[in-house]
Amino acid sequence: MEELLAGVVNVLVVIVEACGAAVIIIGAVWAFARFVWVGFTQRTTAAFVPVRLTLGRFLALGLEFQLASDVLRTAVAPSWEELGKLAAVAAIRTALNYFLEKEIDSERREIEAEQERRSASSTDRPGHPG
Amino acid sequence: MSALEELTRLAALAVGVGALVAGALVLVRTRRPSVALPVLLELLLAAGLLRLAGDPSWGTIATVAALVLLRRLIGAGLRAGDRSLFPRTAQAGRGSAGPGS
Repeated sequence: MEELLAGVVNVLVVIVEACGAAVIIIGAVWAFARFVWVGFTQRTTAAFVPVRLTLGRFLALGLEFQLASDVLRTAVAPSWEELGKLAAVAAIRTALNYFLEKEIDSERREIEAEQERRSASSTDRPGHPG
Repeated sequence: MSALEELTRLAALAVGVGALVAGALVLVRTRRPSVALPVLLELLLAAGLLRLAGDPSWGTIATVAALVLLRRLIGAGLRAGDRSLFPRTAQAGRGSAGPGS
């Protein structure tokens, strides 16, 4: 029974981990293409921020999948060596997820503040005809 | 699991090369290390996360942990440097006017 559970969990771990890896790979490829495109078509520094934010979101989503696979792995009793590695990897992923969320939040607020400043300066600008 | 590990290892390598190319391109185009470095580090981080898939060795785990810490440290340092180099008023305008213009 325990072997059957271990087998099922191992298959699920591979599937969930592959999903996480796929999300990260898709995000990285998309971001690379966008970085190159923006780099060749625009020179403004602000143009790179939305691409970085979207890549951050992809990474956070991939991390969620990978954390789910970590949780699944705890379902089967591992050795102390495996448990130590699992704890280290889960700690890295959790810390990274936390920092990514904070970064995305602060950058989004910066973009919103800049948009507000721009809209305020355009409405305050004198010399509108009529 | 080994097929997945092999695939993610190759993908991590490709993403690492892409990180270098994208970082260099952004640096050449914007001439601002504070913009190019986060691009490089973000993509390198994606490569590091891919390396954690499967059953990583202690060396890989330590490398990724160091990369995450380094990324935070460099990011905080660059933001602090940017704030002192470009005051608030300049920061509001630098989005529309590139350094080359």
